[in-house]
Amino acid sequence: MGYLNKLEQEMNTCIRCAYCFEECPVFNEQGWDSDGARGKVILSYGLLSGEIEPSRYIADKLFQCTCCRDCVERCPSNVRVVDIISSARADLVDAGFASETHKYVIENIKNTGNIYGDTEVTSPVREGETPLFIGCQYLSRPNKTKRYIKILEKLGFDLHIQKEICCGFPMEILGFRKDFEAHKEKFLKSFPYKEAIAFCPTCTVFLKEGYGIDVKHIMQVILEKLPEADLGLKVTYHDPCDLSRGLGIIDEPRKILEKLGVEVVEMKRNKAQSGCCGGGGGILMSDSSLSDRIALNRIKEAMDTGVDTLVTSCPTCEQVLKKAAKEIGEREGKNMVVRNIEDILWKGLKKGGK
Amino acid sequence: MKPDIEGLKAIVGKNNASDEIADLYVYSSDASVHQAMPSAVVRPKTHEEVQEIMRYADKNKIPVVPRGAGSGMSGHAVPIDGGIVLDMKRMNRILDIRPEDVICKVEPGIVNDELNRVLRPFGFFFPPTPSSGNICTIGGMIGTNASGNRAVKYGATRDSLLGMKVVLANGELVTLGTNTRVEASGYQLARLMVGSEGTLGVVVEATLLISPLPKYRAMGMVNFSRLEEAGRAISNIISAGVVPSMVELMDNVAITAVNKALDLGLPDVAAIVIFECNGMVKGTVDHDMESIKKICEGHNGTGIKVSDDPGEMARIYAGRKKLFPSLSKYREGLACVSLADDMAVPISKIADCVHEIHEIAKRNNVIMSAYGHCGAGLIHTKILMDPTKKSQWEDAKRAVKQVYEYVHRIGGTTSGEHGIALSKAPSWKEEKRDSLEMMRAIKRALDPNNILNPHKLMDAPDDWTTATALRYQVKGA
Ligand SMILES: Cc1cc2nc3c(=O)[nH]c(=O)nc-3n(C[C@H](O)[C@H](O)[C@H](O)COP(=O)(O)OP(=O)(O)OC[C@H]3O[C@@H](n4cnc5c(N)ncnc54)[C@H](O)[C@@H]3O)c2cc1C
Repeated sequence: MGYLNKLEQEMNTCIRCAYCFEECPVFNEQGWDSDGARGKVILSYGLLSGEIEPSRYIADKLFQCTCCRDCVERCPSNVRVVDIISSARADLVDAGFASETHKYVIENIKNTGNIYGDTEVTSPVREGETPLFIGCQYLSRPNKTKRYIKILEKLGFDLHIQKEICCGFPMEILGFRKDFEAHKEKFLKSFPYKEAIAFCPTCTVFLKEGYGIDVKHIMQVILEKLPEADLGLKVTYHDPCDLSRGLGIIDEPRKILEKLGVEVVEMKRNKAQSGCCGGGGGILMSDSSLSDRIALNRIKEAMDTGVDTLVTSCPTCEQVLKKAAKEIGEREGKNMVVRNIEDILWKGLKKGGK
Repeated sequence: MKPDIEGLKAIVGKNNASDEIADLYVYSSDASVHQAMPSAVVRPKTHEEVQEIMRYADKNKIPVVPRGAGSGMSGHAVPIDGGIVLDMKRMNRILDIRPEDVICKVEPGIVNDELNRVLRPFGFFFPPTPSSGNICTIGGMIGTNASGNRAVKYGATRDSLLGMKVVLANGELVTLGTNTRVEASGYQLARLMVGSEGTLGVVVEATLLISPLPKYRAMGMVNFSRLEEAGRAISNIISAGVVPSMVELMDNVAITAVNKALDLGLPDVAAIVIFECNGMVKGTVDHDMESIKKICEGHNGTGIKVSDDPGEMARIYAGRKKLFPSLSKYREGLACVSLADDMAVPISKIADCVHEIHEIAKRNNVIMSAYGHCGAGLIHTKILMDPTKKSQWEDAKRAVKQVYEYVHRIGGTTSGEHGIALSKAPSWKEEKRDSLEMMRAIKRALDPNNILNPHKLMDAPDDWTTATALRYQVKGA
């Protein structure tokens, strides 16, 4: 257990109080103690101590985590739960317990530089001053990307874009650390910058934590430059975990929406305590039914606010919440429109000043 | 005998029983130092299912350990003899809320804070306020007679419990207590269940007394350069007839820890006392706060801050609230271990006890901080030690023993709210030595096959360090 070895002290710091149960999306969905973050830390400890052997069942439990960091937020002992879980995953992958869908994604990154293995993607290359990192998710949504770039350029950013490859985060979080070590060098060659702007919350966190790049998420850089607008919308805002808990970007999107004349009605769980969308940590690929159920819970929570539009600023959250909203719409006839904040920004800019 | 997992699945459904090694391993520990593997974990949904499981277990003499969130700090839900762990969290319905009678009826798996969220719109709350209220269950609170920082005003779970339905070891369902506020005569059997730590029956329903939410609240903070003066101030506050809703103490180790971890800039004094009053009338709250302030000044308390602004109150309480994380990151290589985690002493002896805890820690090469709900005479400690070293466990064992010997000498008791189970049992058995047989007779009468959470409390082993495996890997000397 080469990776967990380094975290023994961290696991001993866990007092096993179970505070992490409170809003753990997987625990609340499945209910076994082994589903909650504490359970996963205990399983990791057992793997390290040798009291339990790696198995498919244990791997499934440890991969059933959205890595939403709610546990980290609530932990009274500040235990680095996600580090522990991702290290356990790395040891399990080394022991031969990687999931087939995860292997597929990793192969895609290795072969094409893109998580989807999408050979069609092209980075909208341009010379400029401020390096921009787009990320696989947005690159595979070229229309959105084009608009986001236009928004930044309209606001006066002189962007520098070059051919991108995946930041490697999936390798890290899915336990393919050896592959990540090899990928890291390739990535740094493709993106040799000390400062940058990024679109995707997850890439933003990873460029910071994995590479030490001083990267700002787009939400952090546009507020000042954004002209006011009067869109007259009423929405609820879903905080992506990587923005709110990962980077503390909580006020910025709300201020941006306010500036564009959009009123935000908060969900019961919001800001740093935001509920999970169900899309993170790899479960979207390895356990889509669990992911769907978590997303449905979040959409129901959004519906409780009484508004009919949910805005978010992460492509993964957008994708899974859209799917859940569609399902509820078809099943129960209730409507919740899920929009990326980029869409609102675009409308706001088009409408121009008040 | 190993439980028949297929038979158990037939009772609760195939997704609600497991003998997978990973599940058994996770359910082998709680928030204590202990660890022991069950043979099966079962998650019933109805009292009928609990009855069926108990009938099966009793017939086959298989141990059954009820479990809520597993947040007990002394090994309550650790199945020392193996057997079945009965995870009660699926039985989490609120059955009835009757504000006009100030009662509610719940299933045992409901989480304390969830119950309070539902009661809030009615203008009520369930008064015991354990810090673990965000995850601990009503069943677990009954099992341990939990209380919290507001015990000084509202008492413990015992004081807010009127009645319950219990499944006995043989599967029989009995109704204990009442729905009324008063009940005279007869054995108080509902109360007997409170604090029985799952050894006498499985609570499947509880009738709870609820209180109107107070309309006003104010909080204060005061520094003391001498521990004795803090202790005397607390004692005077309580005996002066003021009824604070909270009186918390933090010793210098605690202050140093939160300053180090959170950079709060708390003064480097011997003790800080945080106090709170609440009520329906602002004038009364203000009056009580003023009285407390004067008492503290009379005992050389300095730097007194008082506020009823929610933001300022949160700032005042921040250090106390974050004490736990601060302690667990106190020093690289040390873990914050739940041992000698609580005790209650006569209020006049608080300062002496805190002082003695520091001395005992020094003598035994560990670090101990003392803090807690001192208005109720309750002190919490934690042992900061290297849990991977054998010698540190010996140090901890001596420290625990000495702490409780002292507590008993000054007329205190082994646990104020967390309960006994395994790690406090040796000391508690000393304290209760002339009533242990009475307890054993009750246990035998209700559970002749000794299947319900066996070998806890009066029947726990005499050495907690070997009672079960330790949850930490102990490697070197
Ligand atoms: C960080 C932290 C803070 C804490 N703060 C406090 C505090 O402020 N005040 C306090 O009093 N305690 C506190 N505790 C201790 C603990 O949380 C309480 O004892 C709590 O009431 C236990 O509830 P649980 O649901 O976790 O029960 P468990 O730990 O699962 O069980 C506790 C006992 O109750 C029995 N039990 C559980 N359900 C049933 C049932 N349905 N029928 C019969 N027996 C049952 C179990 O067999 C066991 O013996 C704290 C613990 C931690 C880790």
